[in-house]
Amino acid sequence: MKEIQRVSPVGFKSTPLKTIKRDNWEVVMEYSGEGDGPWLVDLSHRPRFDLQDSNLEAFTPFGLTIPKVPGDCVLENGVLVNRMNGTQVSIYNLEAQDISMPDESGYTDVTESTICIALIGKETFSICEKLTALDFKDPQKKPPFLFQGPFSHVPCQIVTLSKEGDKSGLVLTCSRGYGRDMIHSIQDAGVEFNLNPAGETRFTNWIRIGSKIS
Amino acid sequence: MNRLNHLPTLKVDTTDKIAFIYKGKKYYGAKGDTVASALFANGVRIFGRSLKYHRPRGLYSLDGECSNTCMEVDGIPNVRCENTLLKQGMVIKEQNVKGSAENDMMGFLDKMDWAMPAGFYYNVMHKPAMIWPLAMKQIRKAAGLGKISPDYEMPGKFDEVFLNTDVCVIGGGPAGMMAALCAAEKGLRVILMESRPWLGGFFEYRSGVYKDRQTLHDRALHLANEVKAQDNIRLFTHTSAVGTYNNNLITGFQIGKKEDVFDERYIEIRANSVVVAAGCIERPLIFDNNERPGVMQIGCALRMAKTYGQLPGKRCVFSIGHDLGLEAAIELHDLGLSIACIADIREDGQDTVLLKKIADKKIPLLKGWVATKAHGRKIVKKVSISSIDGQISKTFSCDLIVASAGMTPVTGHITVALGTLKYDNHTGFFLPDQMPEKMYAAGRIFGLNDPISIEASGMLAGLKAAHDCERGSTGSLGEIREAEKVMTGLPGPVRGTKLVTAPVKGRKSFICFDEDATIKNIKQAIEKGFDVPELIKRFTATGLGPGQGGIPGHNLPLYVARYQGLPDVSIRPTNVRPPLVPTLISTYAGVNHKMFKTTPMDEMQKKDGGVFRNIGVWQRARYFSDDFSCKKEIENVRNNVGMLDGSTLGKFRLHGPDAVKALERVFVSDMSKLKQGRIKYSAMCNDDGCVIDDGVVVKQGENDYYFTTSTGRAGQTVEWIRYHTRYDGWNFAMVNLTDSLGVINLSGPNARKVLEKIVDIDLSNEAFGFSEYKEFMIADTIPIRAMRLGFVGELSYELHVPASFMKSVWIMLKEAGKEFKIQNFGVEAQNVLRMEKCHIILGQESEQRTNLLDVGLGFLWDRNKAEAKTVGSVALRQAEGDKTRFKLVGFKTENNSRAPRDGALIVDDKVRGYVCTARDSFSLNEAVGMALVEAELSQIGTRLEIYEDECGDDRIYGKVVAMPFYDPEGKRMKM
Repeated sequence: MKEIQRVSPVGFKSTPLKTIKRDNWEVVMEYSGEGDGPWLVDLSHRPRFDLQDSNLEAFTPFGLTIPKVPGDCVLENGVLVNRMNGTQVSIYNLEAQDISMPDESGYTDVTESTICIALIGKETFSICEKLTALDFKDPQKKPPFLFQGPFSHVPCQIVTLSKEGDKSGLVLTCSRGYGRDMIHSIQDAGVEFNLNPAGETRFTNWIRIGSKIS
Repeated sequence: MNRLNHLPTLKVDTTDKIAFIYKGKKYYGAKGDTVASALFANGVRIFGRSLKYHRPRGLYSLDGECSNTCMEVDGIPNVRCENTLLKQGMVIKEQNVKGSAENDMMGFLDKMDWAMPAGFYYNVMHKPAMIWPLAMKQIRKAAGLGKISPDYEMPGKFDEVFLNTDVCVIGGGPAGMMAALCAAEKGLRVILMESRPWLGGFFEYRSGVYKDRQTLHDRALHLANEVKAQDNIRLFTHTSAVGTYNNNLITGFQIGKKEDVFDERYIEIRANSVVVAAGCIERPLIFDNNERPGVMQIGCALRMAKTYGQLPGKRCVFSIGHDLGLEAAIELHDLGLSIACIADIREDGQDTVLLKKIADKKIPLLKGWVATKAHGRKIVKKVSISSIDGQISKTFSCDLIVASAGMTPVTGHITVALGTLKYDNHTGFFLPDQMPEKMYAAGRIFGLNDPISIEASGMLAGLKAAHDCERGSTGSLGEIREAEKVMTGLPGPVRGTKLVTAPVKGRKSFICFDEDATIKNIKQAIEKGFDVPELIKRFTATGLGPGQGGIPGHNLPLYVARYQGLPDVSIRPTNVRPPLVPTLISTYAGVNHKMFKTTPMDEMQKKDGGVFRNIGVWQRARYFSDDFSCKKEIENVRNNVGMLDGSTLGKFRLHGPDAVKALERVFVSDMSKLKQGRIKYSAMCNDDGCVIDDGVVVKQGENDYYFTTSTGRAGQTVEWIRYHTRYDGWNFAMVNLTDSLGVINLSGPNARKVLEKIVDIDLSNEAFGFSEYKEFMIADTIPIRAMRLGFVGELSYELHVPASFMKSVWIMLKEAGKEFKIQNFGVEAQNVLRMEKCHIILGQESEQRTNLLDVGLGFLWDRNKAEAKTVGSVALRQAEGDKTRFKLVGFKTENNSRAPRDGALIVDDKVRGYVCTARDSFSLNEAVGMALVEAELSQIGTRLEIYEDECGDDRIYGKVVAMPFYDPEGKRMKM
């Protein structure tokens, strides 16, 4: 065995142009032929945590205030905190560097539990409506907001980060085991919209702009 | 045929020819043609033959309201050719004919109608019973609409889309477009569905004046352009709504255009409010031979000319009951159709402007007259008309009869959503009475005919629908009141004709074309006591064909009321059900992505020759060779070392101050004494004491536990525990780690030697004994949770590995095991290995009624932890003394015979139990198994008689023996 390597549950057939090693993951920063969007980005290597407690108000994960209403989210400094229900929060580190799980009780590292992908760019929601009945464009909902519901028949957490036309985007997590078939169904739905895999750089650039417009 | 190329309403481009094959010969249609209009242009008048009597059938509605023009297109039967756009190279065939549609050898059946009265099948085909299977075959050969092989694979691309909107408008005519525009102006999201490929509906093909010299056609274009210009209106043309459900869920399907990525796609819309502006279809006029090719409805004749540029005949007689008939006669006359006569059912009430034009053009008009019979053996040659009392009659030579009794509102979308209808004497319509919540009707559905009124009604419905989306705001109420006021000043619904049938006996007057049901059949049904439409429909099959009741529609209740002399039309039309418009099952199937879970080792196991099977939500490697007895896999584990991917096991973290209380509630064992580093095997029961799950629990730290469940129950475990602790207010948290951790089961006498090569800890039996748990790192990088377990009855290590590191650990073990010739083993080998050891799998050695005690797991139950109120404990206490329950026993077969199949029955003179799992054991060289049997058969030595499906008198016999079969002292797993 030459090297210990972590394997993402998400696989794309595109050719990686630029990769980096990070915490035993080989992270693709850029793929060939990324095109003009929409894009599908694998973020499964980004740390994710579960926080559960009957008194969530006492917690400020990574300095952020947990939203009070289930379905509401907060995104700051690349950390996304999603209120799931009265006692549970999911936390995605989408961009921030060098943060590790807090020592307090209540936290569980769930990075390995799910795939995490971003679907960004124009026609994002046209792709989604081929796979789910969830109403991402509900005018009553302001990004970022969380849906916990079926996407391609699989229970998912989906956080809409932006609904603004070509800058639309969302992050989706579902059980890791569904990785292969979830990616297949999204890519199949995205064919007519020229959906292409993109590297992490595409997402980090997008979120820096997207988080401002949302 | 020369087309009328100068009309602004045309939807065909005759300069763009499309070739197609009909009955083996090449023909040409024009771009924009339907299959039916292209065939008509090439002189085809008889499209097919009818279901029962094999009567010739031709163009009638142009909207697919009946099966007249159902044909086989590109191998697909029952294609509605009136609605199907012609495509290059299409191969079109007649269906339901012996010979050809023109000369059908089964045509003689038309003269046999006397032998097939209403309820023929019910009356005749049940006695004697032995005739029925034979007769059924012959009838099915003679009847039916098209043939398809069960193995036929549907070509084409099918898609699906799930939409959300504020307002959904069904119908893209003037009322629908106005409703959509009104709602869109409020800034709402609007979806507009139109079944034709273009907008405009009732206005689109007409040249009458809308207002100020603007034609209806121009007005339709103007509205369509406005709709298309609105960003917040999503327009779906060539899209039929097929179902309307609670909470305004609308389903439909869309036909794809050439540039679309789909041929058809299923559409599901969740709307806040709905406007139904589906308009009217024509109410068929019933007279003798009213479905003979050459008889067609007003809209069909007019649209053939205006939309497809074809005169529908040369010499025509109109028999109509609506001003649209007069308008069509004038337009078609101007286009060159010779009109012998217009027979108008109405004595009076016609539009005076139209009457003057008819008089100016010297077209003969007979008021209070109606067609009574179409003549001509295959196609229309002449027509008899009479006064509506039948006293005076005349005959005209003609090749076309334009016939229509009036209009029928399209109310299916309302009634499917459980709205109700009520007969209205003025219009002769069944009008919407109680509308479903947040659903509004608009346009001609109310009997409106005036263009301004139609649009105003659409506007009003649009405002009401928009108001529903304003969430408590009263902003639109003023506008709604204003629109209602406008409506009251406009022309209201027009008076409808009451005539249902011409004055004929009805032997050949068809009320339902699809099922060849005549007026005579309806009379026969009524005389047999079937006095309401719902019963008559079933007795005569009226309305059960592919036209979804479009032709009999409201004629059936009207005729039933008339024939029975009811004082009012209190009876209702029959229920219509989705799909309101028929389409392909493939469209409903949609894309059908297969969504299965794979383990982190999926790809590597495939490379190693794994044969995969779907097991619940997972795909797992069941075998690793073509030998499904798994002999080599089993022997390798018994004698050497094997690796199993057990990643599908349910895995959970349960933590918090009250974690142990929650565990005690659902597990039958006492968890309070669990020590760190030890493994506790236990089980969960339901309230009936029936065992539902088993697994192991380890204590990771203070108030912090890790436990496993079976693969099948993993998805329900969190809910299960939450449900059973819902009133306690305990503070604990659960995290499902099933996918987070992969599991490698390293088993066999050489397992320790392999594992030692990749870990730095002491693996000796003293340092890491049976039923112990350890956490350690591999290469200072990979955190491992390891358990000494023995499910397969050998020395085993169950390694729980973070999913992303699984591949690395798997490769390490394979490399380490190379010198021992380590092999994969799959789920089936594991199944045999554990069965030899009599370790049960819940669901296999248990079923719904099997409790903890039945399967011999009573030792897990701690009877002294009453405080925990263990789920199932009350039932278990009651079951303890019950001698009538099944018991799990082990058995071996007699005379070295083969193992019975799983599920085989244990019998004597009745069923006494069943085989759970049985296999020919390579470890034991005999067939062994486990069975659930009645308690009195559970004694060691009892002979079991085993019955397999279709075994006849050839039984397998076995004998109850002690369990386990293999290594009863458990030395091998504790070595």
